[in-house]
Amino acid sequence: MIPVWMFLLLLVGATGFAWGSPANGNDREQGSILNLPADPISFQPGPGNDLASRYCLMCHSAEYVYTQPPHPREHWIEIVNKMNASFGCPISDEDMTPLVDYLVTQNSLQPSPSAQHVQRDDLKETPGQSSTQSGDPQKGKTLYGRHCVTCHGPDGKGDGPIGQALVPPAANLTLLGKQSDQTILDTLRNGRPGTAMPAWKNDLNALELNHLLSFLRTLSP
Amino acid sequence: MNEREPGIDRRQLLKGSLALGMASLLTPRVLRANDSSTVTLPFERGRRPLVAFPQKRPLMVMTTRPPQLETPFHIFNEDIFTPNDAFFVRWHLANIPREIDINTFRLTIRGRVKQSLTLGLHELQTQFEQVEIAAVCQCAGNSRGFFQPRVPGGQWGNGAMGNANWKGVRLRDLLQRAGIERDAVQVRFDGLDQPVAQATPDFRKSMSLPDALQAEMLVAHSMNGEALPLLNGFPLRLVVPGWYATYWVKMLNDIEVLNQADQNFWTSQAYRLPANPCHCVDPGDALTDTVPIGKMPVRSFITSLENGGTIPGGERCTIKGIAFDQGHGIDRVLFSVDGGQQWQSARLGKDFGDFSFRPWEAQFIPKPGHTYALQSLAINRIGESQRFGARWNPSGYLRNVVESVKIHAS
Ligand code: HEC
Ligand code: HEC
Repeated sequence: MIPVWMFLLLLVGATGFAWGSPANGNDREQGSILNLPADPISFQPGPGNDLASRYCLMCHSAEYVYTQPPHPREHWIEIVNKMNASFGCPISDEDMTPLVDYLVTQNSLQPSPSAQHVQRDDLKETPGQSSTQSGDPQKGKTLYGRHCVTCHGPDGKGDGPIGQALVPPAANLTLLGKQSDQTILDTLRNGRPGTAMPAWKNDLNALELNHLLSFLRTLSP
Repeated sequence: MNEREPGIDRRQLLKGSLALGMASLLTPRVLRANDSSTVTLPFERGRRPLVAFPQKRPLMVMTTRPPQLETPFHIFNEDIFTPNDAFFVRWHLANIPREIDINTFRLTIRGRVKQSLTLGLHELQTQFEQVEIAAVCQCAGNSRGFFQPRVPGGQWGNGAMGNANWKGVRLRDLLQRAGIERDAVQVRFDGLDQPVAQATPDFRKSMSLPDALQAEMLVAHSMNGEALPLLNGFPLRLVVPGWYATYWVKMLNDIEVLNQADQNFWTSQAYRLPANPCHCVDPGDALTDTVPIGKMPVRSFITSLENGGTIPGGERCTIKGIAFDQGHGIDRVLFSVDGGQQWQSARLGKDFGDFSFRPWEAQFIPKPGHTYALQSLAINRIGESQRFGARWNPSGYLRNVVESVKIHAS
């Protein structure tokens, strides 16, 4: 929830009045807020898809890959090496080949998914239906191991191999106690724009998110 | 917040607008991200959804996070000054501040200066001369999608550019107030955007001290008479007329005077050109010597017609366009209807200054049933013209080839 004073300022910015009017001593009328949309697409299913989600979504959206023209394999190796050496994408040696294979395959898709690609059927939400089905913490644990552990760590303390190298660092998920189910599900679906926390709504369906939620509930005392 | 939606939180919007009775002013800006159409650029993987981001009308989305949005080309035909809500958007790093409190916001000028300065927006607006300049801001990778063979990097069409009236204070006045030390050689600029991983270099750009002292360099707080949109760098943006947009650091909050060449990644390794006069190589050739990208070569565009369009034959047809360069100013624009075999002079429109888009117009009578390859060729006041053959370099920079628009007369 944003305070009204911030909103007022955005209004000022948006409608074109000069800001910071020196004569105006009212401090509370200044400030702005930027709500950016969550990623519209993620990586398509296929072998290596989990590697791409894990390694490539922390810094930018999957559109970075899908808007690329057809590139030869060497270009993809160069791109991934640049992500690693120049930008700090922590790819392990054994993941390199399957990851590049996946990117090359995705790059050859015709037509390539755009931000309006058709959603996988199981990701379409029927409001109030699947989201009321309660999750299974065991299944959640498996999903967590596949998608979350590199950042949030085995016990959810935010101490995964990548977690502490992020700004802000990966959250400590043992401290979620006070947050409502709805708040947590919202974070999972939409991620946290401006941080490395990806939006999962294009990768996981409502039931899978419920599995994760019930697993996360086992982490906090 | 339960429903995250781009733009302004609806409930807040309601409260605020009721309070001020301005609902009608703001509602059009709160478009949903998903009720949109698409534009398809004329190259492979050129499909771009149109989505309205905060303070923006629907623009072509290249990427959502970080946001990179292209201006649909017809906008350049409608206005010589690109409207703020249609101005292209290009960020490198995803951690863009969501809130800026303009009371606590400060710009610092530090490093090799006699006295560091920390200035609030109010001081900037009251203690320094306010200067205005019309200037084109063009992404270094504008038109990269047209490179053949294709190259990696952001796949822009021709809409990663815009022209605006920028207002602010001279960079030089700030540097002189701080007092430059004798050993100063470069000035480095940093904004509030941050990487999401520690290992990613923060986005900073530097230029030589003599360049930074040029009279036209501004620290701008307004754009076309309004505060800058957040996505274009609110509250302050470096304005570097004639230079590619990579130097126009957004959300500028730090100016550092250096006594040695900047080693930062974004200047020393990224945004580099082959170090030869053409700044080009043959596809596949390795780059050995490189230089940082700088000023923009002369370009022109036909804006009134789209490639593949149809016009009525047998009637006089007026073709409109724009031209710009790095600040020498446009001397002439030539126009051809036969793919560049014969040229006629186009009529130049109003001059808004040497760094601005310059409108031009030409006329011809198309014959029914004929197909035409319309071209424009701009020449600046020091005699530099656009290229006839596209240059190629591995990063897809500096495109300024004569563009062709194919038209059929009905
Ligand atoms: C640690 C952060 C980080 C990670 C992780 C990361 N990238 Fe990037 N990526 C960047 C940055 C920074 C840029 C350059 C942004 C710019 O210039 O706008 C970029 C740009 C790109 C581009 C655009 C082309 C180019 O060369 O600029 C592609 C394609 C890309 N990344 C693919 C990937 C893939 C595939 C992965 C996963 C293997 C990945 N990225 C992981 C930070 C990252
Ligand atoms: C690439 C790293 C990364 C991955 C992968 C990742 N997260 Fe996160 N996550 C973060 C970061 C960073 C934050 C902190 C954001 C912030 O400070 O606002 C975060 C925050 C969260 C939060 C909010 C915590 C709070 O205190 O409000 C939840 C819940 C969460 N993550 C769950 C998950 C789950 C479940 C997964 C797997 C499906 C996952 N994350 C995968 C990086 C990651």
